[in-house]
Amino acid sequence: MRPDPAMGLLDIYDTALPQVHGYLLSRCRDRTLAQDLTGETFLAAVTAARRQPTPPITTGWLIGVARHKLADHWRRAEREQRGLRLVHAAGGEIEDPWDVEIDTVVAHQVLDALGPHHRAALTLRYLDGLPVAQVAGHLGRTLHATEALLVRARAAFRAVYGAADEDPEALR
Amino acid sequence: MTDPRSDPFWALSQPITPVDPDPAFAAELRSRLERALLAPEGSPMTTTTEAPAHTLGSYIAVNDARSALDFYERAFGARRRGEPIVMEDGRIGHAELAIGDSVLMLADEFAEIDLLSPRTRGGPSQSLYLRVSEPAAVDATVRNAVEAGARLERPAADQPYGRNAVVVDPSGHRWMIASSPAAAPTARHGDLAYLTHAVADTERARAFYGAVLGWTFVPGRVEDGWQIEGTNPPAGMHGGAATPGIEPVYQVDDLTAALVAVRDHGGQAGESQQQPYGRIAQCVDDQGVHFQLLQS
Repeated sequence: MRPDPAMGLLDIYDTALPQVHGYLLSRCRDRTLAQDLTGETFLAAVTAARRQPTPPITTGWLIGVARHKLADHWRRAEREQRGLRLVHAAGGEIEDPWDVEIDTVVAHQVLDALGPHHRAALTLRYLDGLPVAQVAGHLGRTLHATEALLVRARAAFRAVYGAADEDPEALR
Repeated sequence: MTDPRSDPFWALSQPITPVDPDPAFAAELRSRLERALLAPEGSPMTTTTEAPAHTLGSYIAVNDARSALDFYERAFGARRRGEPIVMEDGRIGHAELAIGDSVLMLADEFAEIDLLSPRTRGGPSQSLYLRVSEPAAVDATVRNAVEAGARLERPAADQPYGRNAVVVDPSGHRWMIASSPAAAPTARHGDLAYLTHAVADTERARAFYGAVLGWTFVPGRVEDGWQIEGTNPPAGMHGGAATPGIEPVYQVDDLTAALVAVRDHGGQAGESQQQPYGRIAQCVDDQGVHFQLLQS
């Protein structure tokens, strides 16, 4: 007898789809993956929309669901790759001021080249502009661990970015 | 901490640019979405014949099972689950209805095994409790039930635990129709949270506003106090006012601090009173306008 709030998803589908897809495509830069995650987002939204209290069925809310799906993807990828990769010692946790103007085209290639956990942390923090606490929530880490991860991620980014600056072929 | 604006990483900041996916993908995802929306599985919102059996269910005796099935369909939006089992003598021995996410089973009276409806037995010994999604749905369900032939035993009214009403169906079963309390008001500091109409004669005022604005009223918590149904912000009325008027109730974060501020700025502030919905105090501003402050 209660109306199904998830039905609202059909009403906003046409306007929300390019937004959700555009968000995911720009963050993962992989067409197939972006489509998979877009599908996962809408199907997960059906279940999420039926929770109590009912969330607002809006594009903004769907982007939040998409962000969870993206973070989940990177966490899966990180688990799969962990065994194959040497511990990242390079860069350490020391941060000296970095005074450059980042070239965003190169930056996105650098992000593609990073490990999933570093890429996830930097994307949520800087591309999406989330507070560190929310980044921590998406990655399932503590605030402290996330701050440390961001330090390592920035160091890894700088290392790859610096190498690309010297030799553009380094990213290939 | 360094100045966050000087962090070169903020150059990565990227607003969302919409990108249309492949139209075939878009169409395929839409149909997957439609299928997911229509699948009853896991959905507490779907009224279907697939309603799962809960640990405790109701199996009731009714005077006339065929009419009762119709009644429950019209009154409560019930859906039939399968075909009724008809006995050799024509009585229905078993029938099932899905109501919301629950199953109601019923059968005609079988006096030979002392299975009698409340009407035949002289009254119900229990109530069937029907939970609906929101306070307004209580009223709508009661209307449907009464139109379908139920007797209204207790009109819908707001209780601290939610809005509820009681109807008695044609077989004599007593149905309590209830919703959870409306979500807590989301009024923020400084918002108008409630309007109180102070009038001399509530009967006249109810007739007037009922005719002019279509307002409906339910008895409130205090004597001659009335809730106006469904307005935004919520509003009420009380009688016996020497000086009729409308008093706004403003939401505040900290009532104690707000009352100090009222007095500091030349207003008058009464004592705060604890009510079920929060702490509230009468105030008068420095030009004589009455208002109330609420910390809920």
